[in-house]
Amino acid sequence: MKSLKYLLSVFLISAYSFMGCNEALNVQPENKISENVVWNDPNLIESYLNNIYRGMDHGANQAQLASMTDQASSIPDLGTGIVLKSEVTPGNMGNLASSRSDQYKWGPLYSRIHQTNVFLKNIQDANIDDQALKDRMTGEAHFLRAYFYHNLLRAYGGVPIVTEVYGLNDNKQDPRASFKETVDFIISEADKAAQLLPTVETGDNLGRASAGAAMALKSRVLLFAASDLYNTNPSGMPETGYTTQQDRTQLWRDAKNVAKAVMDLGVYHLFRANPAPGDSVAKNYYDLFFTQHNPEVIMERDFSATGRSLNSNYRPHIYHGPNGYHQWGGSTPTQQLVDAYKMKDGSDFSWNDPQEAAHPYENRDPRFYATILYDGAPYRQRPADDIQWDHDGVIQTFKRLTLPDGSEVPGLDTRDSPVEPWNGTWSGYYPRKILDDKALPSEGQVPGMWIYFRYGEVLLNYAEASIELGEYADARSALNKIRDRVNMPEFNSSVTGQALMDAYRNERRIELAYEEHRFFDIRRWMIAPQVMNEDAKGITITADATDRADRSTYSNYQYTLMTYQDRLWKDKMYFFPIPQDEMNRNEKLVQNPGY
Amino acid sequence: MMNGYKFIGGLFCLLFLSINLYAQNNFTVSGVVTDSTSGETLPGVNVILKGTSHGTTTDSKGHYKINVPSSADTLIFSFVGYKRAVEPVNGRNKINVVLQTSVVTSEQVVVVGYGVQSKRTATGSVSAVSGDKLDKAPTVNTTQSLAGKMPGLVTIGHSGEPGHDSATLRVRGQHTLNDNEPLIVIDGVPSPGQGLDRLSPDDIKNISVLKGASAAIYGSQAANGVILVTTKRGTAGSPKFNFKFNQGFTQLTRTPNMADAPTYLTMLNELNLYRGNPPVYSQQEIQKYADPNSDPWLYPNTDWFAATLKPYSNQTKLDMSVSGGDESIQYRLSFGGLTQDGAYENSATRYNQYHFRSNLDGQIRNLHIKFDVNGRWEDRNYPTKSASQIFEGLVKMYPYLPGYWPNGKPGPAFENGENPVIMGTSATGFDNSDTYYISTRLNLNLELPVKGLSIRGTGSFDKNLIQEKRFVKPWSLCSLDRAGYKANDGDPTNYLSCSEQGIDNPELFQQSTDGSNFLANVIGEYARDMGVHSLDLMIGTEYQHKNSAFFNAFRTNFASDKVPQFFAAGQAQQDINGTGSHGARMNFFGRANYSYKDKYLFEFDSRYDGSYIFPKGHRFGFFPSGSVAWRLTEEKFFTDRIHFFDNLKIRASYGLSGNDRIEPYQYLSTYQFGLGYIFNSDQLGHTLVPGPTPNPNITWEVAKKFDVGIEAEILDSRLSFEMDYFDELRSKILIQRNASVPLSAGIDLPRENLGKVRSWGYDGTITWRDHASDFFYNISLNGGYATNKIKFWDEPPGAPAWQRSTGHKMHTNLYYVATGIFQDEAQVQNTPHIQGARPGDVIFKDVNNDGKITDMDRVRIERNDVPDWTGGITLDAQYKNFDFSIFFQGALGTSQYVRTASGQFGNYYQQFAEKRWRPDPNSTNGMKPDPSGAPYSGPRAFNRVEEYWMALDNTYFYRKTDYLRLKNLQIGYSLPKNIASKAGLDNMRIYISGFNLITWSPYKIGDPESAGNIGGPASLADVRGGHYPQKRIVNLGISLTF
Repeated sequence: MKSLKYLLSVFLISAYSFMGCNEALNVQPENKISENVVWNDPNLIESYLNNIYRGMDHGANQAQLASMTDQASSIPDLGTGIVLKSEVTPGNMGNLASSRSDQYKWGPLYSRIHQTNVFLKNIQDANIDDQALKDRMTGEAHFLRAYFYHNLLRAYGGVPIVTEVYGLNDNKQDPRASFKETVDFIISEADKAAQLLPTVETGDNLGRASAGAAMALKSRVLLFAASDLYNTNPSGMPETGYTTQQDRTQLWRDAKNVAKAVMDLGVYHLFRANPAPGDSVAKNYYDLFFTQHNPEVIMERDFSATGRSLNSNYRPHIYHGPNGYHQWGGSTPTQQLVDAYKMKDGSDFSWNDPQEAAHPYENRDPRFYATILYDGAPYRQRPADDIQWDHDGVIQTFKRLTLPDGSEVPGLDTRDSPVEPWNGTWSGYYPRKILDDKALPSEGQVPGMWIYFRYGEVLLNYAEASIELGEYADARSALNKIRDRVNMPEFNSSVTGQALMDAYRNERRIELAYEEHRFFDIRRWMIAPQVMNEDAKGITITADATDRADRSTYSNYQYTLMTYQDRLWKDKMYFFPIPQDEMNRNEKLVQNPGY
Repeated sequence: MMNGYKFIGGLFCLLFLSINLYAQNNFTVSGVVTDSTSGETLPGVNVILKGTSHGTTTDSKGHYKINVPSSADTLIFSFVGYKRAVEPVNGRNKINVVLQTSVVTSEQVVVVGYGVQSKRTATGSVSAVSGDKLDKAPTVNTTQSLAGKMPGLVTIGHSGEPGHDSATLRVRGQHTLNDNEPLIVIDGVPSPGQGLDRLSPDDIKNISVLKGASAAIYGSQAANGVILVTTKRGTAGSPKFNFKFNQGFTQLTRTPNMADAPTYLTMLNELNLYRGNPPVYSQQEIQKYADPNSDPWLYPNTDWFAATLKPYSNQTKLDMSVSGGDESIQYRLSFGGLTQDGAYENSATRYNQYHFRSNLDGQIRNLHIKFDVNGRWEDRNYPTKSASQIFEGLVKMYPYLPGYWPNGKPGPAFENGENPVIMGTSATGFDNSDTYYISTRLNLNLELPVKGLSIRGTGSFDKNLIQEKRFVKPWSLCSLDRAGYKANDGDPTNYLSCSEQGIDNPELFQQSTDGSNFLANVIGEYARDMGVHSLDLMIGTEYQHKNSAFFNAFRTNFASDKVPQFFAAGQAQQDINGTGSHGARMNFFGRANYSYKDKYLFEFDSRYDGSYIFPKGHRFGFFPSGSVAWRLTEEKFFTDRIHFFDNLKIRASYGLSGNDRIEPYQYLSTYQFGLGYIFNSDQLGHTLVPGPTPNPNITWEVAKKFDVGIEAEILDSRLSFEMDYFDELRSKILIQRNASVPLSAGIDLPRENLGKVRSWGYDGTITWRDHASDFFYNISLNGGYATNKIKFWDEPPGAPAWQRSTGHKMHTNLYYVATGIFQDEAQVQNTPHIQGARPGDVIFKDVNNDGKITDMDRVRIERNDVPDWTGGITLDAQYKNFDFSIFFQGALGTSQYVRTASGQFGNYYQQFAEKRWRPDPNSTNGMKPDPSGAPYSGPRAFNRVEEYWMALDNTYFYRKTDYLRLKNLQIGYSLPKNIASKAGLDNMRIYISGFNLITWSPYKIGDPESAGNIGGPASLADVRGGHYPQKRIVNLGISLTF
């Protein structure tokens, strides 16, 4: 036993000598920052807020929202097919839930909303002496919260309004708010933001929310609230629209007033609103989307070539370009969109007009040339390994070119191309508006921008509300500003009523193509059953040539319309389904109609 | 009587040398030890005083001298490869001993946590293998040679890529939804900077695996099992040099056969037919691809695997060691190097390794000192494209394109400039990493002047430096203007245009990682043998600290691609990053062994463990375990009746252990800098990303382990048998409540201690050892079965029984059940099908019989990539100067999902092409089958994921990867002693050995063990090693001892 004691004491001495090390278990993380440090440092608080902006994401994806409308289709599909065929279910939402970015996804949006809630909770007691900074950041957080809810509203209708910061053991099952409550909440958040924020942001704050942005958001949401879908509300559910008769005139009046308020700020203007003689107006319009901080932009997200690790999934130079340039095709325009562009003189384009049908790409609305790459469109020099087949840098989407020896060759930018044919277009077109035509596909990160709100949209919102109110002159004046920019003839006073409405809707379709509006517009106008039941159309082109590589030797073009993608509309597609997993987690949720 | 074999401390068995007995040294015994067959003297034999830890070893001439307390004591003589001899002193001063050689090569001691135990009296469940067994496999990665060697140790050799070919090790399968990695302890140091992968088998004395509850001595890190590695040490004697040289030839075990150009083009035509389009390729043109006499410029027919891979690659390995010493100091110094080439032609892949180890033992009176230093340089070289990208490319690449044009210029790319023949070379730049690893260990053992009492301490310090450098530059590829060349003939090179590919500007990325690991422990031990009682107490405390930091930088816009150094790069787009981390653990542990007459054996292990991972107040956990054994062969009533058992032991253990392999600091609310957000064109705004909501109650996963086993030896120990059943309940598994907390709450859920998994199974081994005159042999079969079942985790309610995961095996997925192929339209109409199904599509089973195929028809398939059954069978034999070893290894219960991006986007597996449903070529829409080949067993030609059966996971593509392998074969010849000695050698042996020589598996497409199917999307395995198949090795070796 003596030896046991001896053993024990040896042990105890050594254990004691290690006790000092016990404190050493208190190691702090080196690669992380702890909470109390964050909320006492204005710079870190601002960093926290900056991170929330990432949740706004952007629409410059490979499968743009446009590719789930009558405007475009996605070459690799990426889950767009089941959306276009109305096969979406709560368990399988296809592209709406999978490969595209986060901006309409239930979970990521609520995660960002939670972050704004945390921010708004902590900012009150945060150690910031600069009250102006505190106000600005608070305003931004309200804007962001409104923005996230507005995306939820557009996609799902009324949703649970969560403003609390939940702890681990709180009951976290919230029911859906009604459509009206959700709209009201967004408006009140936008108002708070507008109150706290400067009218426009400047300097290094460019890109942050401003009062102008909050008002533009409000304008968009009020336009939605006044629209047919939510006032007709076919399902009668409070979550999908109004359940009692609203004063539609008042709704449109509100929408018009707030659009007018943005216009009256006097700080936003159409970009190159008055083209100089000799200007390429198509280029003016194209440049709008690649000129950062131009006066038309109300809010944008910038992308820069520096900071290679930003990983923003913003690759407008490779996602949408032709395969014959080693680009990936992406969201290619449909014939429906192509045909929607009027002739330069304002008249409709028609395949029944033999002159127009023989030269379908001539004398069109200048925005056509800025938005769409078609067979024969001058683009840019081919990459070195493809230049042998095309010296001129002209888009080749012809199916077949017959050479003097009778041999036939496919276009370089088709699915029979010798260059990466799997990325070739199905429709015969590529998008240009969203394509950075300077950057090479091999560049990882390119500078650029994504516009959340621009003055052009506000003018269109204003025009729509004015038409609905019967105030046609106001509508025409706004629309004509947009048409003047691209040298399209103005609407004269004879255009009123339904004609003006039809003209407006086409104008909006073209002006805002590829800007993530059409998807929601065809829903709120309830025209989706008409436009989305038509299969996607494209074009088959054949021609003859004496020299394949020299475009000037081409002749005898033949254009044939064809369909290439099945589409089917079911009314359930007015709203996204709430994901099945979320339904399972929260028994208080009601599913959207038709699912 | 057996407790005398209980040595103190895991590494001490060679240490108890002949110095210095402190108490009552009143009787001296000396003598000489010789070999029974040759009569030669034996140096280095252990001579131990029974019941104590005191002993000595024989000197270089086989002499020993030992002081014993009394003339009535007993001495025990033991030596590797010889039967133990027990000699009662009986008053003799001189005892000469003749040792009988034994085919029982493994020593009958096993290494356990913080000590060694006699195998016969151990109560825990331990598997062990000696280093010389591992040395038989010509692989350079030790984890690979562990496959099938020990019952209960599951290995999955995911990859054969040089430098990244470590097998995943699992002790008795999987036990938790989280990390299942076992703890690795090398020479008493847990989790050293580097695992055992790169340890040379030549330096390994033995490896043992603690499978049962007694692993609790390692507390919070023990739940996944513990693998203990002991390195070789020197023995007294004149210097003994060993020199070993191995030259191996490696090739990939199994690569897929791809469709050739005519088949592929025919399938593309079929794709067109399905869309109602005319064929793109005429029969005439397709024929030209089939005709070897066609113009190779226009009609190549490339087997891309053959074009890209070498017939064989080299692997060279050299090991040298010297050991020896005298009574007060012994040494073993070893040095080794190896080089391993990649599988590609002009391979940029190469792994080089250099290592040394110096293990010193010394005795100063009653102080035993061990001082070990070892170092290693691992030099990994790769192309800039990963193996997964290259193998994906090999599967995708069009067979109608050439790797190289007939004039030697590289052929065109698939996309992104990817041409497989170039991707494996250094044409695209390089990706190198150098790992420098050095570890030092000092161990002191002081025998105190109280009989049986000793105190020892270890201090160890590891340092780990990794330098990575990756330089990507543009490369050149050439494409042919076919139309131009066809139209004009003439010199084809006039129509070849070559251009820069990949990237415009070279890019350089460098990273430097620096890690260190410090450990100190103090252990007291008291061992006494008091008549029928023997007692062994061990108590200790240990402290461990680790830290690591990395720093990396990126620059591009190089002035020249010839200067891959930062100074030559431009300023724009540069990027620098870095961070660090710390960790600390401390604990107290103890073990008590008691045995009564070596008949009833009891052991109690426990650990009070503290870890930095958890919050204050939850930082320490207590992990006790107990085990008992009963040796029936010590019972008179048993041996009187049953005579043929030489040993029969029944044992059982039960205890707790923990698993703390989780992300640390989950109790803190923390933030990390994110990717940033750009304001004002190019002003990078910092972004601070919040971590998950903290969980202040986070704690260990707890394993309750139960094990019961039986060990037996019969027929003069020629047949030995060991079998275990184990049952483990892992609770407090950290999972997220993703299934029950709505996403609308917005919170990033932390992990909470909620999950519960039960795992159970059997493992065992049977060995037969015997000799017929000069023919010595042993056959050993070992195997294990391990499975598991989720008892609780956060699963959404409402899933039908056939989809539930609770109550089923972990890590399994849902699949549609493929029941065949629609042969014609009538069959489609008469069978529930997915909208749009057509002849040639895969039939999915309507599991819930609702007449529709929906999500609900998916079924949970209880197979994954971890086998249920694993095992091996070894035959070792020796006849005169020849020795022979053959080893088969197998695994059952695994599957792999076969995924390709075939169609317009890439080639098809030959197997898919052969079995495919074929349309009548004259039909306009491909709906009618070609009657000549019907019925068809495989689906029609497909385009990526356009068909539902490609987009939706189904059992047609979930292939079983059960396998049996001739894992290892070795034949050796040793030069007769008299000839060898004329050459000044003690021994010279030449041998030929092989690894993965033959594989039997129903999975024919690739290697059944490889990670993910070969050619699957690189993104799924885009890590080093991914998709690189296992290697087959044929090796020639020579070993010289002098």
